[in-house]
Amino acid sequence: MRSPVQPPRWAHWLLTKLHPDNTLEEVEGDLHELYTHWYNSSGKTRATLRYLLSVVSVLPPFVRRRKTNKQQHYTSSLNSIMIRNYLKIAFRTLKRQKISTSINIVGLAIGLATCILILLYVQDELSYDRYNEKADRIFRVALKLRLNGEDASGPVLGSSAAGDLQQEFPEVLKVTHIQNQSGEFVSYGTTSFKEDHLLYADSAFFDVFTIPFLEGDPKRALTEPNTLVVTEETARKYFGNQEATGKVLLFGSDKTPYRITGVVRDLPVNSHFHFNMLASLATYKERHMGWLYNMNYYTYLLLPEKYDYKQLEAKISRLAEKEVGVELQQFLSISLKQFREKGDDFGIFLQPLTSIHLYSPFGGTELSPGGNILYVYVLTAIAFFMLIIACVNFMNLSTATAVRRSREVGVRKVLGSVKGQLQLQFLMESVLLAIAALVVGLLMVGLGLPFFNQLTGKALTMSLLINPFVAVGLVAGAVLVGLLAGSYPAFYLASFKPVAVLKGRVTTGRGSFNLRSGLVVFQFFITISMIIATVTADRQLRYMRTQSLGFNREQVLVIHDTHMLRNNESVFRDRIIQSPQVITGSISGQVPVGKTNNDNTTVMAKENPDKGVMSRFYYVDDAYVPTLGMHVVQGRNFSKSFSTDSFAVILNETAVRALGWQKDPIGRELVGNIDDNGVKTYYRVIGVVSDFHFESLRQKIGPLVMFLGRNSGNILVKTHTDKLPQLLASLKQQWESFSPAAPFSYSFLDDRFAQVYLSEQKIEQVLTLFSSLTIFIACLGLFGLATYTAAPRTKESGVHKVLGASGSSVVALLSKDFLKLILIALVLATPIAWWGMDQWLKGFAYRVTIDWWIFALAGLLAIGIALLTVSFQSIKAALMDPMKSLRSE
Amino acid sequence: MRRTYLGEFEEVVLLMVAILDGEGYGVTVSQALEEHTGRIVTFGTVHNTLIRLEEKGFVQSELGGATAERGGRRKRLFRITALGSGALQEIQQLRQNLWQLLPPHTFRLGGI
Repeated sequence: MRSPVQPPRWAHWLLTKLHPDNTLEEVEGDLHELYTHWYNSSGKTRATLRYLLSVVSVLPPFVRRRKTNKQQHYTSSLNSIMIRNYLKIAFRTLKRQKISTSINIVGLAIGLATCILILLYVQDELSYDRYNEKADRIFRVALKLRLNGEDASGPVLGSSAAGDLQQEFPEVLKVTHIQNQSGEFVSYGTTSFKEDHLLYADSAFFDVFTIPFLEGDPKRALTEPNTLVVTEETARKYFGNQEATGKVLLFGSDKTPYRITGVVRDLPVNSHFHFNMLASLATYKERHMGWLYNMNYYTYLLLPEKYDYKQLEAKISRLAEKEVGVELQQFLSISLKQFREKGDDFGIFLQPLTSIHLYSPFGGTELSPGGNILYVYVLTAIAFFMLIIACVNFMNLSTATAVRRSREVGVRKVLGSVKGQLQLQFLMESVLLAIAALVVGLLMVGLGLPFFNQLTGKALTMSLLINPFVAVGLVAGAVLVGLLAGSYPAFYLASFKPVAVLKGRVTTGRGSFNLRSGLVVFQFFITISMIIATVTADRQLRYMRTQSLGFNREQVLVIHDTHMLRNNESVFRDRIIQSPQVITGSISGQVPVGKTNNDNTTVMAKENPDKGVMSRFYYVDDAYVPTLGMHVVQGRNFSKSFSTDSFAVILNETAVRALGWQKDPIGRELVGNIDDNGVKTYYRVIGVVSDFHFESLRQKIGPLVMFLGRNSGNILVKTHTDKLPQLLASLKQQWESFSPAAPFSYSFLDDRFAQVYLSEQKIEQVLTLFSSLTIFIACLGLFGLATYTAAPRTKESGVHKVLGASGSSVVALLSKDFLKLILIALVLATPIAWWGMDQWLKGFAYRVTIDWWIFALAGLLAIGIALLTVSFQSIKAALMDPMKSLRSE
Repeated sequence: MRRTYLGEFEEVVLLMVAILDGEGYGVTVSQALEEHTGRIVTFGTVHNTLIRLEEKGFVQSELGGATAERGGRRKRLFRITALGSGALQEIQQLRQNLWQLLPPHTFRLGGI
C-alpha cells in the first residue's frame, strides 16, 4: 500500500544521494513519516518547507555519521592480543627477509649516527664559554684598525683601556684584562717546562669569569705582584700530590720567582681561552700608556643584566676616539682626522663573549683558535640531508619489501581486517625498525666517536645523550622517523583490494617512479660531487707534499729554544758541528716551514728610492743557505772571510724582479734604515738564491731579503747519519752541560712540513668519510628502487627471453633506466662541483688544475657502483626461468 | 566522581527515549519534544543527538517495525541502557542535593 502523500521528489533525491548510506533507510522513513504528519497538521507548503529544512540538516557536513559495526569493533578491540600478533608477524617477516631488513636498519642507522655525531659537534661549538655564570653579560672590547694601509684589527688594546673604561662608565660593573705570555720557561727545582698556556690577568679576572678554586681565595689570589694561580693539572705536573699553594716557581732564564696563591679547577675545553697558569698583572708597574701603545691586552667587561651593549659601544667609541687622538698626536704628530684622511681608520666594537668562538673575525690573534659558524651551518645541512635521504630510502625499501607481503594483506582483509588495523600493523613494524636503527646508530656513534674526535680535534663524549631531554628527544625522533617512513607503505598496502591481491595482480604506480627517480638523481648528484671534491683535495694535498720547495728539508734537525742558552748559543753550535755526523749547523729564528712572523718591511733600490718593495727580512748566518740546501743562482753566499758582509744582502729571485734588477743584480745597493742622525745605510747585493716557499703553498712567494746577523731562536742542523738516537742523545748531553732553563727539544723539518698541511689533510679525511657515506646511502636508495621496479617487470623480461633475448640483453634493458638517472646527476654535479672546488683551490697560491678526467672518473665510479647495485636485481630477473614468471596468471 | 558528559539537549532527548519506553525513534522523539517542551528543532539535531547518545553508551538501538506510512522502511528504535538511566538519576540526584542547599528565603526575597 502506498502512502497518500509523497514528499517533494527532488529533496528526497538529494537526501538519497548525499546522506550517509548506513543511516539512509531509517532517516528516509522518519522524514517520510514526519512529512505526512506535518502535511496533515499544517498543510502542504509548511510541510514542504519543514521537510526541506530537515533534509538539509541531515546532509553533510551537518549530519553526524553513524560508525559502522566494524569501526566500533576496531576501537574497542585494540587489545594486547592483536598487538602481540602484529609483533609476532613483524619479527617473522623481518627474520625471513634478513638481507633487506639489515640493509634497511643499517641505512637508517648510518643516517641517524651521522646526525647524532653532528649534533654533538654543533652542540659543543655552541656551548663555548657558556660555563661562565654571567656569560650573557660579558663582552670583549675589540679594535678595528687600519694602519699604513694594512689591516691591524684585533681583539687587543693597550693596557690603559681597562682602567679608563672602569673609571668612565658606571654601567661597566667589572673590567678585567688578560695578556698572553705563552712560551715562557718555568722551572721548579730541577724540572723545567715550556708553558704553552701562560696568561697574565688582573685580580678582577675571577669576578668576571666563573672558575672554581680548589685552594686559595679568588678575591686575593692575583692582587700582589709576582703571584700565580695554577690549574689542578699543572699543580700535579710540578708538585705531584704535594700542596701547591705557597710554593715558588721560577720564570724564564733570569729565574723570576712567582708564588702560587691558588689552585683552580682545569678549564673546560669549550673555552675561548685556556691557561695552565695565570700570573698577576700587578707584577708590571701600571702607567698610563694609552690604548694603542703595546696592544697586547684582551679586555673584558661585565655589564648589568639586560643591558643593551650597543648603547655602551657608542659611548666607548667616543672615549676611544679622544684617547687615540691624543696618542696619534703624540706618536705620529697627526690628528685623528688626518689619520683618517690618509686612508687609515680606527674604531671600537664590543663582542659578546658567547659569540667569540664562532663569529670572531680575528683568527691569528685569538687566545685559542676559534671555530667557524660556516662549518656549523654546513654540517647541520649535511646532517639534515643525510637524515632526509636515509628516511626516504627507508621508506623506499620498506615499500619495496612490503609489496611482497601483498598476499598477507589480502588474507588479513578477507579475514575481516580493516584499513586502520593494517595501517597500524605496518606503522608498528616501521617504528620497531626505526628504534632498532637508533640502537645500531648509537652503537656506531660510540665506535666512531674517537675517530671523529681525532678528525675534528675535539673531546666529544656521549654524556650529552644521557641528558633525559636529549634521550627522550632521540627516541621520539626515531619514532617519528618510523611513523613518517612507515606511513607510505602503510597507506599504500592497506589500500590494496583483497580480490586483486589474492589473484596476484599488484600494480605499482608509474607516477611514484618520478619521485623515486628524482631522489636517485639527487643522491647521485651529491655522491658525484663528493667524489670530485675528494679526488681534487687529494690531488692538491699530494701536489703540496711533493712540490719542490726550493730548499732541502731532508735530514734537517731543528733544535728549539736555543736562545735560552744565551751567550752559549754559538758555543753550542760550534760543538755540535764538531761531530762527524753533522754537516753544517746554522743559528736562526727563521725556519722556512709553517707560520713565521709576518714582518714585512719596505726596501728601496738606491737609484729609485721612491718605489718601495714590501719584503720579508731574514737575519741569518753564513751557514743558513748551505744547511737548507738553497740554490745560489748568482753571486755567492755570506762568508766570514769578507768583513764587509755585514752590509751585504742576499735576495730571492722574486725580490730581484720586484726591484727591477733582472740584468745584473750583483753589486746593486738597497737603501736600509735611517738612524737618528739621518744617516742612511746602504746594503750591497752579493747573491741571489732561487725562490723557495717560506711558509706554505697557500701563500705566494714574496720578495725576501737576507741579512747577515745574529738571530737566535733555533739551531738548524744538517745531518747525515743512520744512528739518529745516538746523535740525539749526545746533543741532549751537550745541551744539558750548559744547564739552561729550558729542556732540550727538537723537531725534524719534514715533520714540521707535514704539520703545516694538517688542516688540508683533515678536510680530505672529512670528505672521504662523507663521500663514502653518501655513496653507501645512495646505493641503498638505488637498491630499493631497483627491487621495486624490477619486480613488476619480471613478466616483461620473461617475454623477452621467450622471444629469444639473451640474459645480458635483458640485464641491459633493466639497467638502462638507471644509467639515464646517473648521467643526469653527472651533468648536474659537474658545474657545481667544479665551482666549489675552484673556490677552495683559490685559497692556495700554488694549486693543481681541475682536469676533465676527474669528472669522467667520478661519473664512471658512480655508474660502476650503480650498475653493481642494480645488477643484483636485474640479473636475478634475467636469469629467472621465463616459465615461472609467465605461468602465474 | 566520574563526570557524566551529558549536555542539556542530550539530557532532554535521553529522557524522551526513556519516557517512550522502547517506542522512541526519530519521529516520536521529535514529536514528543515539540509537544512537551514546545521546542521546534530540525530533524538533523535529533538524529545527531541520538547517534551521539548511542556512541556514549547511554542508549542502544535496533532496526525494526517497518510500517506502510513510512514507505515500508524500517525504523531505528532506541532504548535507554543501564548506563543511561544511571546518568539521568545521577543528574537528578545532583539537582536534588543542590535544591536542598538553597536558602529558603531566596525566592521569596526575589519577589517570585
